[in-house]
Amino acid sequence: MARRFRRTRKGITAGFEPQEAELVAGLLEDVARLLDGAAGETGAEAARDGEDPLDALARQLDAAPADAPEDPALARLLPAASRDDDEAAAEFRRFTQEGLADRKRAALLTTAATLRRPAPLLLTDDEARAWVTALTDLRLVLAQRLGLETDDDAALVALRAAEADEDDPTSWTASIYDFLTWLQEGLAEVLLRDLPAAGGPPRR
Amino acid sequence: MSATTRPAPAPAARPPSSRGVLGASAVVATAAPAEAEEVVAAEAPSTERPWVTIVWNDPVNLMSYVTYVFQSYFGYSRAKAERLMRDVHDEGRAVVSSGSLEEMERDVEAMHGFGLWATFSHDS
Repeated sequence: MARRFRRTRKGITAGFEPQEAELVAGLLEDVARLLDGAAGETGAEAARDGEDPLDALARQLDAAPADAPEDPALARLLPAASRDDDEAAAEFRRFTQEGLADRKRAALLTTAATLRRPAPLLLTDDEARAWVTALTDLRLVLAQRLGLETDDDAALVALRAAEADEDDPTSWTASIYDFLTWLQEGLAEVLLRDLPAAGGPPRR
Repeated sequence: MSATTRPAPAPAARPPSSRGVLGASAVVATAAPAEAEEVVAAEAPSTERPWVTIVWNDPVNLMSYVTYVFQSYFGYSRAKAERLMRDVHDEGRAVVSSGSLEEMERDVEAMHGFGLWATFSHDS
């Protein structure tokens, strides 16, 4: 059975059974692949030989997506930035979506890589920050697949998880979601304890 | 928002939450057009921070995590971060920062990076 995240003198640690680590790493990599289509295409979009840099930028922006992704899970990872101005939301998406998808993918793969290191899991502070956001993105995708849309649905998912019916895919997904929720709660509490109660310099 | 401190892998019963607001358009209580125009007109000369970043409730993000995001990114105190987190949970949304459009776009992008659902809006 997994052991909750905690801070030790060496760093932030948690205990995973090998099959738990493999399962979570595989799911994180699945979400990273889901983001592939929305992330920047390295090289392909770079300036062509002799091309004016401004023309290249204009071409890249033309090629950048303005519409929300069709997959609702991907759309939740890369949501609209405005509710009342579709044009502003489309422009925001054109300028930010590839970078945002790239950063999310990097955090997911960093997190998966820590699970593929020899046990025990020991994280640097940077890795712990990648972990806590990667767990969020993975839980957002699973929540969408489970049809979890309201706080009341969240209670239903917990019930499905409690059924623990191995033959029922929804029950199985719900119990994984529940496990990831428990993991993230522990890690968020560790990271929250590190922050000064009076506030500190913003990271923005 | 979700709050749970259940041990894995034996989940205990979760207290049912009283509300779920994701996608509920009713919480977007915008002012009537005429009223909104009046407010804008009255404040126009002194609106140096006319844009806001709004974070919306969702059933996935944890209360501890949302507090962590508000504290670590904005540098807010624990008390302020928790108050904003409570507002998101109870009211369905909260204004978490204000400033120029460029600043709000940066904050919204950062919130999306954390997996929170944020939008920028003109503060009318």
